Amino acid sequence: MSKLVRERRDSEPVRKALKSDFEMLLSRFKQTESVRFETFSNIWREMNFGHIFYGITVMHKKRKFSRLVLDMAYSFFLPPFSFHIRVGGLYLLYSLYRCQTALPIERIRLALKDWDDVKKFEKDAVNAKHLDVVYVFQKLMFLKAFHFTAMPIQLHFNRKRNVEKSLLCEEFIERPSRPQELINIELLEELSNIQEIYEKLKSSVPSLSGQMDSSVNLIHKDLVPKLRSTVVDFYKWQKMQDAEYRDEDEDEDEDSGEGTSSQQECSRRASIIASIKSRAYGQVAETSKARRHRQVELDLNTTAGPSIKTGYIRISKPSLKARTSQKILISGNTGKGTPTLINRLTSLDPTSDPEAKSKGLKEV
Amino acid sequence: MAASSAKAASSSDNIPDYEYVDVNTKVFHIDSFRSEWLSRLKPEDFSHKQEDDDVFDARFAKEMGADAETMAKLKAICSLDSLCCHPEDQRSDAETVPPNSTLKTLIQRKKKQDLKRPQKVSKNRHDLYADELESLALSRKPNDAVDVVPEGEVILTINVYYPAVYDKFNHNRPHMTLLMLGSHNLTQLRDAICCVSDLQVCGEFSNTPDMAPDFISKDHFKSAFFFFEGVFYIDMRFPECQDISMTTIEWAKTHNFPTYSQAKMEDTRFVDLKVKVGFPYLYCHQGDCEHLVIITDVRLAHANDCLDKKLYPLLTHKHRVSTQKCAVCHVFIGRWLTTKDQFAPSDPCLFCNKCFQMLHYDTEGNKLGDFLAYPYVDPGAFN
Repeated sequence: MSKLVRERRDSEPVRKALKSDFEMLLSRFKQTESVRFETFSNIWREMNFGHIFYGITVMHKKRKFSRLVLDMAYSFFLPPFSFHIRVGGLYLLYSLYRCQTALPIERIRLALKDWDDVKKFEKDAVNAKHLDVVYVFQKLMFLKAFHFTAMPIQLHFNRKRNVEKSLLCEEFIERPSRPQELINIELLEELSNIQEIYEKLKSSVPSLSGQMDSSVNLIHKDLVPKLRSTVVDFYKWQKMQDAEYRDEDEDEDEDSGEGTSSQQECSRRASIIASIKSRAYGQVAETSKARRHRQVELDLNTTAGPSIKTGYIRISKPSLKARTSQKILISGNTGKGTPTLINRLTSLDPTSDPEAKSKGLKEV
Repeated sequence: MAASSAKAASSSDNIPDYEYVDVNTKVFHIDSFRSEWLSRLKPEDFSHKQEDDDVFDARFAKEMGADAETMAKLKAICSLDSLCCHPEDQRSDAETVPPNSTLKTLIQRKKKQDLKRPQKVSKNRHDLYADELESLALSRKPNDAVDVVPEGEVILTINVYYPAVYDKFNHNRPHMTLLMLGSHNLTQLRDAICCVSDLQVCGEFSNTPDMAPDFISKDHFKSAFFFFEGVFYIDMRFPECQDISMTTIEWAKTHNFPTYSQAKMEDTRFVDLKVKVGFPYLYCHQGDCEHLVIITDVRLAHANDCLDKKLYPLLTHKHRVSTQKCAVCHVFIGRWLTTKDQFAPSDPCLFCNKCFQMLHYDTEGNKLGDFLAYPYVDPGAFN
């Protein structure tokens, strides 16, 4: 097997295992709801995370593994993850960097495009007086742990045949807070004022023309309270989602034999989508009589939600050698009870059963 | 040239970003990239000197307004000891996978090692020396202060691939990896690339075997070019160099291709280039020996890099090829290829220099018998 393919095949399970280990560590860190390094190091010790470097004997493999570990941990240090996870990512980088067994030690590759994010993160930490976060970051800078690079990984123009979408751990991603930020008290007050004026204006129109026109009545009656309740609903839903994730995590802890299976992931996604849809269609506003014929119909079918398939399933075919040897074994067994050697098939062998031989040849 | 046009472009253009994720970046100007980094960093961040621990602590305390007690606590909490998974007395063996681990990585590693154990793997020579080249030069300091790599210099990692002459190239990409400095000229990269086609000797030398080394292709055909982002960088250092890119440029003109331009290899430094990282470019020499060239990485120099300018271009990886041995002694690498040879067991046949001389010439160096002899350069000669 060629080198590139072999390397890819070998590194894939390692990547997956590493990712789930990191996610496990970080989700435990998140549950504590504390950004103290002490908390992190407690979990680190409990999980014996430093052992991750153990059991590699060859030096160049140690370096390769260190490289992989740092590259993967680096992604948790960047957006779109929430501040808490990024703190965890920074601690993870620091701990892995200090604990690595490779010599010469591998550095953390910091890409230019990510620098502004990192600086903003540091500023946030300084403003929030998280001394340990700032200390750990500056210590890394002081230790010259970073390579200031163009890109987070070395690029070899490697096209991937079967791209497996690496799913970001949804639980870690920062919740969008724009709706809450946008619709604040001042805006609501402003809006209700405008609405009031608008309503007055509207009601004054028919009195001028002297006849009632139903189309002029097209206004949302209680717009402001509705808007407010929707945002509150959204916020509550976010909270609920977070709680749900936490519950599911606890369930998963019980059957630790298997990771998050894609099936579960699918159904979870499907249920989220379904709930969004039902919310959207459930609140069909009552339309005016003139537009009754266009009224949006409640589509009940959508609540089921289609199950979305994530990633591809690779159809793995055994190698030609494996297939051949399997077939030859079978033909050999029918003949003499001993496996036919492949070289026997080509040479004339008077002792072997001619029938079995021809069969074998056909099979090959 | 490239530098002036880069200045006109806005600064965000020179922050490299992906064109295709994990494959290659968009075009950026290397020197502007370097200044972007330097403008963002404090001088001590990329300095080659290691500061003192106390200086760091004092500065941190001052910046954050932390008192001595907080600092002491902070240092204790964030120390390496807090990450140690064992009490001092029971150090576990780092060579073996710890049993009963809950980490999936270790479970996976254990499984793999258990699978591998039955078949005894002999230590591979290539594995043994995999990092040798790089570690030799690591954190080397020059004797002479003039040769120090300046702080804030860029280091480029360049992969030069061997010509794609066989089908396996898709899966297996034999290449050499060179580290270059931003201040290097392209000609220095060209001189650092070793390719057997440069050493090839054309012609039949059975009558004058000692003359053969005087006819190496490298000395005869000196023209070469690099092709980066629509520009042919041609080597014009010697009077016998020809512009071998003109044919392509003119052909492109007549066939409605985008117009290509030319520049001189010896006048172009790496920092002047505008390139995509991870994108395949071309190096062509000996007329038609074509190598892919990929710049896999551009970064600022680090205190732990080799800081001796004289050791650059620094070879960090070399693909090893199995060599063809002499048909007589089976010890030395073949140097001569003979045909129509009455002494040879096969036609053609490979000989090392010594066996070739002993078999085909008498003690005075007179040719014995009838044969044609061609100098042969093994692709594995650079191993």
